Amino acid sequence: MALEDYRADALRCTRCAYCKWIPLDLIKSWRFSKGCPSIEYSNFHSYSAGGRLVTALSLMEGRSEVTDQVIDSVFKCQLCGNCDVTCKLCRFDMEPLAALHELRLKLVEDGHVLPQHKPVMEGFRKLNNMLNKPKAQRGDWADGLQVKDLSSTKAEVAFHAGCRYSYDGDLRQVLTTSIDLIQNAGVDLGIMGKNESCCGGRAYHMGYSPDYRKAAERNIKAWANAGVKTVVTPCADCYHTFKRLYPGAGSQVEVLHMVEFVSRLIEEGKLKFTKSIPMRVTYHDPCHLGRQGEPYVPWQGKEKKIFGQAVVYDPPRPRYNGAQGIYEPPRNVLRSIPGLELVEMERSKEASWCCGAGGGVREAYPEFSAWTANERIEEAKSTTADAIVSACPWCERNFIDATKQNDTKMKVFDVMELVQQAL
Amino acid sequence: MALSRDAYREFEDIVGKENISDDPAFLDSYAFEWLAELVRPNQSHFMPRPVAVIMPASTEEVQAIIRICNKYKIKAKPISTGWYHWAAPLKEEDDTLQIDLRRMNRILEIDEKNMYAVVEPYVICAQLQAEVMKLGYDINIIGAGSSTSIVASACAYAGPGPSSFWMGNNSDNLLGMEWVTPTGEIIRTGSLGSGSGWFCSEGPGPSVRGICRGTLGSRGAMGVYTKCAIKLSHWPGPRELDVGGTVPAYRLPIPDNFRVYTIAVPDWDAWADIYYRIYDNEIGYIFHRQFNLAGADLGPALWLNYNDPTKTLGDIEELVEKPEIKELTDEMRISFQLIMAGRSMRDIELQDKVLDEILAEAGGWKVKRFCEQDMAEFTNMYLQRMGHKHMNFVWVGGYLGSWMQSGTPDWVKGYVPIAIEGLYRDAANGLLVECGGDALMGCGSQIGGGGMTGLEQFVSYDPADSDSIAAGTQHMIDAVEDATSNGFPPGKEQLYLQVGQKDEEIWASLEKSAQPMIYHFQRKIKEAFDPNNIGDRMYSILPEETS
Repeated sequence: MALEDYRADALRCTRCAYCKWIPLDLIKSWRFSKGCPSIEYSNFHSYSAGGRLVTALSLMEGRSEVTDQVIDSVFKCQLCGNCDVTCKLCRFDMEPLAALHELRLKLVEDGHVLPQHKPVMEGFRKLNNMLNKPKAQRGDWADGLQVKDLSSTKAEVAFHAGCRYSYDGDLRQVLTTSIDLIQNAGVDLGIMGKNESCCGGRAYHMGYSPDYRKAAERNIKAWANAGVKTVVTPCADCYHTFKRLYPGAGSQVEVLHMVEFVSRLIEEGKLKFTKSIPMRVTYHDPCHLGRQGEPYVPWQGKEKKIFGQAVVYDPPRPRYNGAQGIYEPPRNVLRSIPGLELVEMERSKEASWCCGAGGGVREAYPEFSAWTANERIEEAKSTTADAIVSACPWCERNFIDATKQNDTKMKVFDVMELVQQAL
Repeated sequence: MALSRDAYREFEDIVGKENISDDPAFLDSYAFEWLAELVRPNQSHFMPRPVAVIMPASTEEVQAIIRICNKYKIKAKPISTGWYHWAAPLKEEDDTLQIDLRRMNRILEIDEKNMYAVVEPYVICAQLQAEVMKLGYDINIIGAGSSTSIVASACAYAGPGPSSFWMGNNSDNLLGMEWVTPTGEIIRTGSLGSGSGWFCSEGPGPSVRGICRGTLGSRGAMGVYTKCAIKLSHWPGPRELDVGGTVPAYRLPIPDNFRVYTIAVPDWDAWADIYYRIYDNEIGYIFHRQFNLAGADLGPALWLNYNDPTKTLGDIEELVEKPEIKELTDEMRISFQLIMAGRSMRDIELQDKVLDEILAEAGGWKVKRFCEQDMAEFTNMYLQRMGHKHMNFVWVGGYLGSWMQSGTPDWVKGYVPIAIEGLYRDAANGLLVECGGDALMGCGSQIGGGGMTGLEQFVSYDPADSDSIAAGTQHMIDAVEDATSNGFPPGKEQLYLQVGQKDEEIWASLEKSAQPMIYHFQRKIKEAFDPNNIGDRMYSILPEETS
């Protein structure tokens, strides 16, 4: 697809501004009624999905040019997808999130890149990770573990650690816990270790499509060489990339997030927790596991009209609107832990507020990123929970940093950390 | 047109550089407005660009901005949540400053004892409803839905909605108001103007409701309304809406003291009869002809399809051919929704009995499929929160409203056949969505207690298709002709068309209105309050030479 393919979306936008809120039916308070971090932070209409569609149209029609303000408005967005859910509450013919992606890809393609993203992308190209860390240290987390190295052997299941977990010392425990659980379940498992490559998802979201494509091809080939049929990852970003983006690059592997894997074990009676964790927690749905974690449905088709002018698609176009996101598995896991009380935030599941880390925002706009995380922490506090729990290292890192900055007592956990404590 | 650097700097000094922009793409995001393509040259989706957009955070900042507008003779166009082409600048030749009020977004006070809430312009209905429900209150949410500004509907429009039958419309519910006039004075109205608080719109203190609203609402042309108090109503439901269902078709459980019905009647005489009986018997909490917005031929299929998360819009094509759907479509061809709320179980039981008697006498019936739990809970959610008003645009993204003249049920039923025939005729060439000639939708009553209704024809066109846009424009022209040639005043479509017309064309149509002198009075009001003409022509006037 190209930006031009979304011209009709722009023309058919009605400026209803639903994209600025969570689904209106779900609003429970003034405080937590907002859905889009970008517009809440920057206020001009151009920082909403509707506004960006107009920007795209304005550029396509030659009414305006790419300026610093335009670049700022296009990139100061986590691409969290709340707008996609709310727009599609009443529309079957709009794809705002896909259009925002295309606008970003187009800007990067034309050389309008953020200077803050340049070193990140240079690191990605040289070091195969998004954190500018040495390649050789990527597999350090697995030192001492008895697990197959898929660079030299084969296994049906690959465990993909992801950049953030691999290099972030505060979060690494999630990886070893995951490996233990998968191996204890008797699964034929392997890892790529120091040869693991970034999924490329974050590069894609920053607008660097060719770089993403290379990463996808590299990983798909590595999995094929290792006989991998299933990829398991604890990272929501990687999960989304493998599940929703890689099929477009030819991948046919099954993709599971660790919370799905553990939830299955619990449902099958293969995992029982023995320790109690007396704590009140609230679960934060990562955008890429929740509303954007829906199954990929291949589609190639065209628009057609029925009843004169009603727009439909031939064949029917998949409707990604957050209905089939991964919401219950992490909650099942948390509910299964003795002593743990799970309470919901006002904005949850498809209506979740973003952690602030996605879309290249953490890298380019640290203040905005931290503000977004703080908003979520405030919401978590309003539930009187002791801890906010998630299933994505980028969310967790952003929350940890936010709580440190504000000296708040809210604890931050990964679901897998609590699993490990309860075993 | 461009803003002088001096003027820009003065505006910037008021709000800070981060709250003002003259970037062309940013300005285009304000110039792009729904309906523009129907009236603009070359079907442009853009209204004229403002010279800058500015975002004040307080009444004092608004006042300072307006004063600078007067100094430089720049038109000021406030916008809150921002729907309609007239929310943007109207004329290319005018230098217009768009005042985006989204930073003025606070609920300032909820006075539980005296039953009102004070809000700023960017508070939307859904936010306030959620907050006041916690205290056992509700607000009237206007027909345009809960994403809209309360201040805008109460101060600058009339503000009717599905619950107006029970709660009144928002212009009725407007209490004290704070108004920055076009010259930059701050007027506090009603009881607020005498320092007595927000509790009353008419006094002690000055009442300016009629002055501000004029005939059809000032619609951004009479300064800026910066705060208002809105009357609250008792809410006999739960303190928090326990929303279920799957996105997008959320559902709201029906409490024991509520009833949710879709009611159908055999003909339009019975429709009027039943409306009067509902008024007379004072039953009902929400009273609206809602689901027919999708058209009488397609509506039942659309709503059932919408409630199945596995379906897409295209599945309706097959669904409408099913015998049971055809039967249902015939059954509810003339139908409306009624939600009743009892203060007690005995109250709701009585309302139920009264309704059954009304139906028996008027020949109406409850539509069984739409009264079953799934659809009733969906109806309950839809109408209590009005969170799906964007369904107006579901077919293809373009919708225009024609007709909508308000009056008694007997009067309104007089234009129904003309409106239906007109849409059948105009959609026959396939350039508008063919959903049945009757896509008429509207409030059971636009005023508290019943007495006034109106039906808006929902006409869907494709904003990405030039021929379809042209058909939409032609339909509006036809609807004006259909109305006037049959003795009815023009409807909503005339307001839409006027946005694209020359002043002289508008004056010609105002002169044909029932009381043209009203627009001369409004000119005098405008001259008094807006001597530098910084408001645009949405506050309708006739020039002196037309007297």
